[in-house]
Amino acid sequence: MPELALRVDDVSKHFGGLKAMRHVSLTLEAGERISVIGTNGAGKSTLFNCIAGTFPVSSGTIELFGENVTRTSAAQRARRGLARTFQTSRLFEQLTAAENVFIALGGNEFRGGLLRHFRRDTARWDRVARLLDRVGLDGRGPQPVADLSHGEQRQLELAMALALEPKLLMLDEPAAGFSPAERASLVTLLRELPQEISLLLIEHDMDIALAVASRVIVMHDGEKILEGTPDEIRASERVREIYLGGSIDHAA
Amino acid sequence: MSELFAPKRTGVARWLPWALGGAVILVAVLFPFLVDRPRFWLPNIGVRTIWLGIIAMSLVFLNRYVGLLSLAQVTVAGVSAYGVGVMMVTFEQPFVLAALVGLVAGTLAGFLIALIAARTKAIYFLMITLAIGQVFYSWASQAIEVTNARRGLAPVLKPDFGFLNLNDITSFYYFVLVIGILCYVLCRYAASSTFGLTLQGVRDSPDRMRALGYNVNAYRIAATTFAAFIASVGGIVLVLDRAQVDPDVVSLGSTLDVLVVAVIGGVGSLGGVFAGALVLTLLSNFAQNLTDRYMTLTGLVFIIVLLFAPAGLAGIGKQVKGLIARRRTPRHDAPQQDPSADQSAEHAITEGKQQ
Repeated sequence: MPELALRVDDVSKHFGGLKAMRHVSLTLEAGERISVIGTNGAGKSTLFNCIAGTFPVSSGTIELFGENVTRTSAAQRARRGLARTFQTSRLFEQLTAAENVFIALGGNEFRGGLLRHFRRDTARWDRVARLLDRVGLDGRGPQPVADLSHGEQRQLELAMALALEPKLLMLDEPAAGFSPAERASLVTLLRELPQEISLLLIEHDMDIALAVASRVIVMHDGEKILEGTPDEIRASERVREIYLGGSIDHAA
Repeated sequence: MSELFAPKRTGVARWLPWALGGAVILVAVLFPFLVDRPRFWLPNIGVRTIWLGIIAMSLVFLNRYVGLLSLAQVTVAGVSAYGVGVMMVTFEQPFVLAALVGLVAGTLAGFLIALIAARTKAIYFLMITLAIGQVFYSWASQAIEVTNARRGLAPVLKPDFGFLNLNDITSFYYFVLVIGILCYVLCRYAASSTFGLTLQGVRDSPDRMRALGYNVNAYRIAATTFAAFIASVGGIVLVLDRAQVDPDVVSLGSTLDVLVVAVIGGVGSLGGVFAGALVLTLLSNFAQNLTDRYMTLTGLVFIIVLLFAPAGLAGIGKQVKGLIARRRTPRHDAPQQDPSADQSAEHAITEGKQQ
């Protein structure tokens, strides 16, 4: 039996009287890539935040790499190998792009060196440079975050998530606000991720969601309504009805 | 290899900060020879400016690098001062031991305050630290066995180390000046360390830091404890300067004094606090020559600074630079200035959500 990266079992989340997500279960094998799609308010981001530990769940269990993490904090889950991006950018706004990645690199390691001048940590800065190059931000390192375009900020998000060298990478609408060219390079980047990284992608853009994933989960109204291969999802009447309003053909 | 740092500054931008810093230190060193009545100027203006500045600097450090506005820095300095007072007056111990006890007591107090307050942010952190300060004030005013209540502990005599006699006012001034410079260097060093950069991450986005695996509370507590250490050093200078410690040291008025110093100097700048402290000590010493309403005058100066230099005296340089840049490119009205200085002040006050 292949190793499971993530197992979500019968998880619900209520905000007061609002049932944002009901009885969702899913599994993600190590190295597998899954997309979660659905309309606005379908509960995608709620699911995402519950898995990451940002929200406590109302019921159900979440296992990460075989361990029950339902009651652990976001930071503890990050240390187990889960990295996430945020839908609305939560970057370190008063710092430069390079400094953002530098801080991200420190998250999973507590090796001392905290009291050294931060510029002297050349080994870490080398890794910063490589990560910036990898996501297409080469040369933008000295820019303050506020001077980066929206697309560049999303690229920076990705660099910071990759900095953790995650076993499970969760991306929350990474292509939101991207130009077509940026979308294409995002797909390339995601396809080039090392095979052992599991990927959970929440995406509005069907092209990207179907191009990257081997399995797709469709959420609607707080529930998981369908799960299948990209081809099955493309062919599904139900998805056409609720999600695409009947215009699925061009999405391939 | 991709570029990581902005190119080194050139010309005026490169040497001006060093020249300014050098000039300030030169004036501070020559101060005893520049004034007509050293017996008045050295303690009342010089020494007081420095300890006010040190305590305010601990507040500015927390605000600038961690985004926390703490009103308990005066309390921490007071705990340290009381530590020295109790050791020297009640137990008749030598100064060095008393100073150590004061430092440990103040730093520990800061750590305990951080344990309570670190989970909150912005206005909540401010209110909790204010409340803790007031609790300590009323305890200090009443605990007659420990603090001698309102009469306070006196006399706290300045030590004579043999090679250095602090009863000599000029020696005392230089002693305090060196401590002030050391505190500044220590704060700058902490800010430019990996620890300091990480703190700025905590300031800008605690959620992100948690998602990266950082223990946000641990960083907040560590930073608050460090700031408490700096404030405790200020408390020791304070108790030597006043030669006694009484509840006035930790009163709401003293808390406000330090806050005014930080805002006039600029809550985004570690060095600016000394300019702010100088303004306040000059006002408190000379305002009575002009008017009976010293507090009113202080308030007016405060408002004028906030109106014309919202980033404080330390932000004036940047403002001037912005004005010059705008003159040179008259049709371009978006100033390309580093907004960090005034942002951190706004950030502390407006981002009133609990994290």
